[in-house]
Amino acid sequence: MAMTDRMASENSDRGILSSAGASTYFERRRSARIRSALIWSAAALLLFWCLHVTVIADTDWERIGGRFGVLGSIGRFLLLDLSLLPHLIIPAIETMMMATLGTLLGCVLALPVAWFGARNVTPSLYFFYPVGRFLMVLSRSVHEIIWAILFVGAVGLGALPGILAVAVRSVGFISKITAEAIENIDPKPVEAIRSVGGNQFQVMYFGILPQIMPVVLGTIIFEWDINIRRAAVMGLVGAGGLGLVFFRQMAMFNYGGVTMVLLAILMLIIIGEIVSHFARKAVT
Amino acid sequence: MTSQNTSMPASQNAAPQWSRFPFPETLIRYSVLLGVLVFLAWSVHFLNLDLQRLLGAFPRLGAILADRYFPPELSFVLDHRFLNSVLNTIQMSILGGAMGVLLAIPLAWFASYNVTLHRWLVYPFGRLSIMGCRAIHETIWTILFVTIIGFGMFAGVLALTMFCIGFAGKLFSDEIEAIDMKPVEALRSTGAGPLQVFVYGVLPQVKIAFVGISIYTWDVAFRAATVVGFFGGGGMGWYLQRATYELQSTRVAAILLTIIALVSISEVVSGWLRQRLAGERLA
Repeated sequence: MAMTDRMASENSDRGILSSAGASTYFERRRSARIRSALIWSAAALLLFWCLHVTVIADTDWERIGGRFGVLGSIGRFLLLDLSLLPHLIIPAIETMMMATLGTLLGCVLALPVAWFGARNVTPSLYFFYPVGRFLMVLSRSVHEIIWAILFVGAVGLGALPGILAVAVRSVGFISKITAEAIENIDPKPVEAIRSVGGNQFQVMYFGILPQIMPVVLGTIIFEWDINIRRAAVMGLVGAGGLGLVFFRQMAMFNYGGVTMVLLAILMLIIIGEIVSHFARKAVT
Repeated sequence: MTSQNTSMPASQNAAPQWSRFPFPETLIRYSVLLGVLVFLAWSVHFLNLDLQRLLGAFPRLGAILADRYFPPELSFVLDHRFLNSVLNTIQMSILGGAMGVLLAIPLAWFASYNVTLHRWLVYPFGRLSIMGCRAIHETIWTILFVTIIGFGMFAGVLALTMFCIGFAGKLFSDEIEAIDMKPVEALRSTGAGPLQVFVYGVLPQVKIAFVGISIYTWDVAFRAATVVGFFGGGGMGWYLQRATYELQSTRVAAILLTIIALVSISEVVSGWLRQRLAGERLA
């Protein structure tokens, strides 16, 4: 709607330019300039209002204690605690495993959601399609920390709630991209398989799956990369890995150890980025 | 998968020697697959996972939600203090998003290989700072800023800023690396400096894409802003943390429902804005 409106106005704009001459054109340009100035000043006012409420009025400036206070607090993080290094290896492996298993479980869970949420293959457009769409939104709108809290309540402490939280959180993105890929497939192979008497499963396995495979694999690898970050914070709410070490070091006020944990997370992310770079090259 | 590796060698080799399993590719492919499977099995063993508990997790979650969380305490959510915190959350996300985007633009400039200032000094700096911001999760940023400048929304805004630098910076630099290099070449040949090249050669090409990415960044920042309060960053997350630790499950349920509703609204708003923008791009 808006697009066609805009195009119509664009066309009329050109018409006026050619017929009524330059004065209307400049008037139009001036009004556009005034409009953009109004928008920019409104945005600036909004930003200043936000700045005032959240930062200027809310901060306890005394506690920060001036420039040197801040520099001092940052400086405490810079004295690395190298003795923590051997205690970081196993949690780092755990984090990697949580991310991988979580991604895998997320793929399994995303299968039915994508099937329900793709308009052209959904079993029922009036029941399963809205359910699938709702599950996608639900999975993405609840933050992984909140999922982790819910799952810690449901299955207890340990790596399992972390895996479940990572999995549930990644369902939304994987299934959304997959559903979009399914909606954009070429319908001809599907027709062909149907016309030779293939059943629903055969249509999916031979008609749809080969077409969406590269996109879906790329998305899964991308999501795995993100899930490493997510798995690294699951420990903050009671689900193992590097987050737990981070939380303990923070609770002991061992700021050098905190920096070590951050460096370990950074290492994991770099490894993940390299692996996902090559894996994505391999599948596409 | 198989359809890919059957068609490839037939087109490459001069002598069309078709084979279902071309030798080196399959070996690599299946050994990688085997390696992944072994890693998965090992990690199930290493993390001491009980697969029966895994299967029971979702029914248990459903039972707990129905049992403890069920009548959401909506009166708590409608309280004016909570509504104020919702407003604060939105403000934090706007401010954090704006600051993040503003800082991300120069960093994205540094981190795009085709127009960067210096390929051996500035490029790695830009890349590393964007990756560092991205690598650290927003909750960890929140905790770090809370230890440095104390509880409150300032810490949350800074954490969101870092998060947005990482998020928007990567998308921005991807966008810059995909530009048409001809205007840049033209500007360079007339002796324009790097800043002039960026402002007149690069920015006009990516302006609309940048606005779209900024809107999306705000959307994602709002999602993150709902939980920065959980670790002391202010906003509605703080109420969530209090309700969680006081085991007031019905309150937690009400807050979660609010978050889901707000995130859905923000998603609709950002989607609508981006669609309008796409229309503008076409017209």
